[in-house]
Amino acid sequence: MTRFRRTHAIALALALLALLGGVGTAWAWLVNPVTPVAHEVRELFYKAVAVTMFFFVLAEGILLVAVLRFRAKPGVPPATFHENVRLELVWTAIPALAMVVLAGPAFSTLKYLETVPKSDLTIEIVGHQWFWEYRYPGQGIVFANEPLVIPANKIVAADVTSIDVVHSWFLPEFGVKMDANPGRVNHTWFQVERPGTYRGQCAELCGVLHGDMLITVQVVTPEEFARWVEQKKKGA
Amino acid sequence: MEAGTLTRPHVAPGAHAEPKPRSAILDWLLTTDHKKIGVMYIWLSFAFFTIGGVFALLMRTQLAGPGLHVLRPDIYNQLMSLHGTFMIFFWTIPVMAGIANYVVPIQIGARDMAFPRVNAFSFWLLIPAGLLMLSGLWLQGGAAAAGWTSYPPLTDRQFSPGPGVDLWILGLHLAGMASILGAINFVVTILNLRAPGMSMMKMPMMSWNVLITQSIILVATPVLAGALTMLLTDRMFGTGFFHPSAGGDPVLWQHLFWFYSHPAVYIMVLPGMGFVSQILPAFSSKKLFGYKGMVLATAGIGFIGFLVWGHHMFATGMDPTLRRFFSFASMVIAVPTGIKIWSWLATVWGGSIRFRTPMLYGLGFIALFTIGGITGVWLALVPFDVQVHDTYFVVAHLHYVLFGGSLMSIFAGIYYWFPKMSGRLYNEFWGKVQFWLVFIGMNLTFMPMHMAGMLGMPRRIYTYQPQFTIWNQIASVGAGILGLAMLIFMINMLYSLARGKRASADPWDHDEFNKTLEWTVTSPPPAENFHTLPVIR
Repeated sequence: MTRFRRTHAIALALALLALLGGVGTAWAWLVNPVTPVAHEVRELFYKAVAVTMFFFVLAEGILLVAVLRFRAKPGVPPATFHENVRLELVWTAIPALAMVVLAGPAFSTLKYLETVPKSDLTIEIVGHQWFWEYRYPGQGIVFANEPLVIPANKIVAADVTSIDVVHSWFLPEFGVKMDANPGRVNHTWFQVERPGTYRGQCAELCGVLHGDMLITVQVVTPEEFARWVEQKKKGA
Repeated sequence: MEAGTLTRPHVAPGAHAEPKPRSAILDWLLTTDHKKIGVMYIWLSFAFFTIGGVFALLMRTQLAGPGLHVLRPDIYNQLMSLHGTFMIFFWTIPVMAGIANYVVPIQIGARDMAFPRVNAFSFWLLIPAGLLMLSGLWLQGGAAAAGWTSYPPLTDRQFSPGPGVDLWILGLHLAGMASILGAINFVVTILNLRAPGMSMMKMPMMSWNVLITQSIILVATPVLAGALTMLLTDRMFGTGFFHPSAGGDPVLWQHLFWFYSHPAVYIMVLPGMGFVSQILPAFSSKKLFGYKGMVLATAGIGFIGFLVWGHHMFATGMDPTLRRFFSFASMVIAVPTGIKIWSWLATVWGGSIRFRTPMLYGLGFIALFTIGGITGVWLALVPFDVQVHDTYFVVAHLHYVLFGGSLMSIFAGIYYWFPKMSGRLYNEFWGKVQFWLVFIGMNLTFMPMHMAGMLGMPRRIYTYQPQFTIWNQIASVGAGILGLAMLIFMINMLYSLARGKRASADPWDHDEFNKTLEWTVTSPPPAENFHTLPVIR
């Protein structure tokens, strides 16, 4: 009776764990990607899950079966095998092969996201303790502590830097995270598919109010954007 | 008892004559006995573990809901920084060093470490090291608050004017020195003091893991010491290693820091893998599967571990070629890690498993460490890494490695060798209860952090946006369960230390082929371990 309960407790715990992980992962990842890069990243993530889940299920499955099957019983002697070179070569070669397979899509996605295409708009993002400054050098606009405004469906190139400590400009739905290093300029880009308001926040510990260093991006139609630029220029 | 009647046919290297018995307290203070030093390491590490754990519980209380005001943001950042630093440098590394200090010399048939006085010195350095770091909490400006990674310019004088960062640097310097001296000691001991007939390939797996770990420390830790010194001179003497305005570069710190700190992950995991490699065979009544492969895989992890540090820096704007190199190297390290997991599974397979507490922890280790390994492969893929870098996903991943991996293996080791060290048996029922609380509490705490991170919750924030609430609430409940489990552990062990049943030389009834030398001597072993040195055939 105790044996029955115990083994089932283990099985239940592990099954629950897998369920929680699987469901949670799938659900959580449904942060809707709104840029081509974010879509690519999600595709890559699905591939990585597909490849690694095989090994995960295999390992946890063997463990679970072993725990359920091989409890010490009187009169049942343990097996005596303790090496098998062929088996060891197999479990070295197959994961190695899987890694090579996974590296393909990983590197092509990487190539895609790090090649900044010819942009329609260039902006500069400057991190400060604890707010963001945005500059539009082509339009002659500079402001801070307000939402970034960009046109939908246009390719926006962003140069990211910092004035004081290291910050990181992070917008989950864009698939963009770029460190803002003082003394360096990093380049990233995004092309947002749909107008709307998107939120992120600083991702690199930057001091006391790091947790309050929020990011809001307003994505508007190109016409609205043109109007906004005019207004901003007049106001400045 | 036997210690008193011990005659001394061979004087061990470094051992010294003890003319008359000292008082008990003085004996602990002045001891150079590896077993006593090992036990003191364990006590001290648990004290620091308690501090780091209380800090974690305070953080989880602050994060139990969005917009709470349990901790001020500056205090939160200090506790968060000290939690990481303490759990790494003052709990995981020293408690493993303590267990190894106790067990390895006996396991290889030596009377003590090669340099017993250096051994004592290493231990005593840790106390001022920990106190220095902690002392910042009571000083104007507070303790270091820039995370355990202490990236400049945030750690420059301009942005962290108080003494906290200086104390952090000095404390870490002392802990690092203790680590380096200990590493020399372990390497020399294992290479030179093995009993007659114990060739390298006859060494117990744990001793191999400790040897490789200590070799990593020997290469990596001096680099950290150098980087810390640069940071200190930047702060104290106005050098500009990490100042852009003086031609320096903050990213240089990140390279130097991670050159140490990624191998540090293996420093924190490999000894535990060694414990588990003793425990799984012992409670399955089988030999460890693929001993040679295990040795090679461990050495492989140790080597490749030095080639992957850049994966902590994929969002810094690193050179594209380097990103690909670090990415692929990080994927490759999954292969030797996989070899170890498959070999443990093959060890357990077909055995006669006895589910004692150390075994539960050993099996729990495999279950949880595998999850950390899988998310580690995902994180090696640059585009995915950039998406979740510096979010709670990484916090979840690293806790599956360091809690699910290191901590589970440490508890496996503590339960396994407790009877040997104390001469008493712990309470098995409460041991098992404690295991299940840890296993469940651990998953409740850290699994939801994956979700929060994928939704975009950054790490190291003192409060969060409302969409992350549910995941944080589950995590806070889990943390409470873990706190309770640790309380049960301490009561069980303290009670057993005073009142537990006496342990025989081999309370686990090892099969002859799994009986490493520590189980052939009394519990606790006599001074200098062996009356006559064992000969291994």
